[in-house]
Amino acid sequence: MPPKPHRILLDRVSGYADEAAAYMRRRRVARRPFARLYYANGRSADHAFDSDSGAELFVAAGRLLEVAGKRPKP
Amino acid sequence: MPDAAATALAPGDSAQGALAFLTEMSPDLRGAAILAADGSVLAASGEPGRWGEDAAALFAIADGAGGESVEQVHVATEQGEVFALRHEGLAVVAVAERFALASLLFFDMRSTLRNLAHTTPSTSEGGESRNGGED
Repeated sequence: MPPKPHRILLDRVSGYADEAAAYMRRRRVARRPFARLYYANGRSADHAFDSDSGAELFVAAGRLLEVAGKRPKP
Repeated sequence: MPDAAATALAPGDSAQGALAFLTEMSPDLRGAAILAADGSVLAASGEPGRWGEDAAALFAIADGAGGESVEQVHVATEQGEVFALRHEGLAVVAVAERFALASLLFFDMRSTLRNLAHTTPSTSEGGESRNGGED
């Protein structure tokens, strides 16, 4: 017996939602800290954490994170 | 809320409004500051002095890292994400939660600075000369 049409639609939407959730989970797990600079001519450059310039950028960013503090709970 | 703590400095009524707008548009934002062409803080969500110093340090390091003036900076750490943008002679620095959507936040920051530059033409003029000097 074929499934009802609305079940097909619901299954498809749930499938997309599951895929998106899995992508976000993988992104959270796999993402590493990075420092990226963008220039006016459209060029961009990544600076690794263990490079001199990268380390300095992370220190400067850390100070700004301190200044901003934690987001208050709603 | 960062917008509740927004501190306005002269001539920053419009800057304070722009900062409040940016905070409202970006729910992931923890805090931000808008800087004038000379590096002075127009509005900040917290201590303006520290925002000014640390933002200047970030831009100086970023400029030195590539040997030319940067337009955007994005640093993602385990504790949060830092975004900085120069546009129309003004600059904005924002700190957001991890995994904030960078493209959306940069878009909001850019439109905030564009609106602010058009409401305060004198600030924009000063910024153009500053950018010209840096390039």
